[in-house]
Amino acid sequence: MKKWGELALGVVTSIGGFLEVGSIATSAQGGAEFGYQLAWVLLLGTLSLAILMEMTGRLAAVSKRTYADLLRERFGYRFFVLPLVAVFVVSLLVLTSEVGGVSIALQMATGVDFRWWAIPTVLVGWFLLWRGNFSVVEQGTAMLGLVAISFAVGALVLHPTWPTLGRALLPSLPAHDRARYWYLAISMLGASISPYLYLFYSAGAIEDDWTIEHLGVNRITAGLGNVFGGGLAIAALVTAALVLAPRGIKVDRYEQIALVLATPLGRAGFVLFIMTLFITCFGSTLEIVLAIAYLLAQGFGWSWSENLKPGKDARFSTSYTVLILLAALPIVAGMDPLSLTNISMVVTAASLPVTVIPLFVLMNDGDILNTHVNGWASNLALVVIALFSLALLVAALPLQLLGGG
Amino acid sequence: MSGRTVALSDLLGRVVRDATGRKIGRIEELNAEISLEHGASDYVVTHFSVGRSRWFDIVATGNFVQPLVRRVTRATGYHRYEIPWDWMDLADPARPRVLRREEELPRGS
Amino acid sequence: MGALQLVHDVIDSQLVDRHQEKIGRVDELLLELEAGKPPRVATIVIGGGARARRVGRWMHACHRAVHALFGQRVEHESRVPFDAVRCIADTIELDVEGDALDSMHVEHWLATHVIGRIPGASGERK
Repeated sequence: MKKWGELALGVVTSIGGFLEVGSIATSAQGGAEFGYQLAWVLLLGTLSLAILMEMTGRLAAVSKRTYADLLRERFGYRFFVLPLVAVFVVSLLVLTSEVGGVSIALQMATGVDFRWWAIPTVLVGWFLLWRGNFSVVEQGTAMLGLVAISFAVGALVLHPTWPTLGRALLPSLPAHDRARYWYLAISMLGASISPYLYLFYSAGAIEDDWTIEHLGVNRITAGLGNVFGGGLAIAALVTAALVLAPRGIKVDRYEQIALVLATPLGRAGFVLFIMTLFITCFGSTLEIVLAIAYLLAQGFGWSWSENLKPGKDARFSTSYTVLILLAALPIVAGMDPLSLTNISMVVTAASLPVTVIPLFVLMNDGDILNTHVNGWASNLALVVIALFSLALLVAALPLQLLGGG
Repeated sequence: MSGRTVALSDLLGRVVRDATGRKIGRIEELNAEISLEHGASDYVVTHFSVGRSRWFDIVATGNFVQPLVRRVTRATGYHRYEIPWDWMDLADPARPRVLRREEELPRGS
Repeated sequence: MGALQLVHDVIDSQLVDRHQEKIGRVDELLLELEAGKPPRVATIVIGGGARARRVGRWMHACHRAVHALFGQRVEHESRVPFDAVRCIADTIELDVEGDALDSMHVEHWLATHVIGRIPGASGERK
């Protein structure tokens, strides 16, 4: 019985966790400007994330060490510095966007300017990390994150043409604005496949004491959870395609995205949008700040756990405290949350090779995984992901310059 | 104590030359065992693994990738020497020298 | 404990003290060279300076500069004799008191002066 409970919880966590400021913003922009056409990018991103998460989860369950632990141990400190710096910088950038998302949601709810909300947001977030244990953080935000199902509801009410949507799940070339199309594609991939997600997942497996017995749970959680979560991102894209695109509305403020739910669901839709933005961004704030703190602690060998009192892992708790407070600063300074989000998504996409390629080496190491090393199919999938992540790295800067609105 | 101290990372990756001055590879691994000499139980380095490339070793583990890497490395002429400690002259740790010629060196798997 | 591969098994491994508490990673190993004898695995070094030095001399210089900024001339590095090693597995267990290590200075300082000052910090588990 307990296993089913764990399973359900795990799936729910992934659903609620998938959608956050990056997915909402990029899916909405994609739908507004290209209709259904970019749906295949979300499908690709979702499947890739599911594969990467299953692997880092398997690493933790079998070796009893997190992906960050193994990055240091297997490759040495000289190499480790590279993913350390890359993930740190990129995740911090995304973190500030999430704080921006929460602040905008509160501005929409209260009318008070978003810059005032950054500090209260990070203080409440900090308090939850300080007092709450891992289950509270993981499950609390997961359950609440289910409000994101509003996008699915909104999409269904708008009666999408299913055959057209189905065709959009296959890759296609744009008829116009090629640079803009591929720019949005790369940012949607950065929103879907974020290193902090599979790093956090790996650490979470250790926090939850996963063993070899959990390999099945791992597969279902990583697979189903992300597929459902990706479905919600596609739903967001669909609502934007049906509401914003016909009206020629290009998204340059978060408030415009509220329309995609307000149109089908009326006032309730508006409220649901604010709640979804607030909850998913807040949850991601906690998750990202923990992911960075985990990376530092595991890389340097400090004691760490959300289940320990802060005094027992002082460097770890100081890290997340400093990081979450830092994250508020750009928003307090008035940086535009949407621009911040767009940049952080492209930068995330460009940073992927440095965590995807080492994973290929680890997943084939029999010393670490024994009989649970990758089979040929997993390796093929991972090689494909690694190859397109290299393509993203090369294309990121040109596309940002040519297609970044 | 008449001994000198050297850091492990100062030895790793150093180019190793044989008795004729030919470059035979770089130090990739130090293999140690417990020595029960003089009543003490210390780990001492028994042999050095010297390979042609720094990077192959990182990748050459595991069940799937290892046979693949073996095939590639054999094709490119990669081999690893297992050099006993007393054949290695570390008078200058930055320039390790083997006291034998390359042809005499035992090869690893 | 038979053959030991210093790169594969020791360096960068997680260290725990006699209470199973994490006390850092093996940031460097020191070998003792004596003529006519095999190199002896002498010391485990734990500390940021040793790490920085592995990346490059420039990194080590930056590390020292940052420490100087905080008014610290002495780097908090720990040198533990290798014979303190009790067990080498996924982690390396040392027969030392974690609290006594210099390299744990920052951890203790933060626990006392920063984290400890905020209510709710003390205790074992949440």
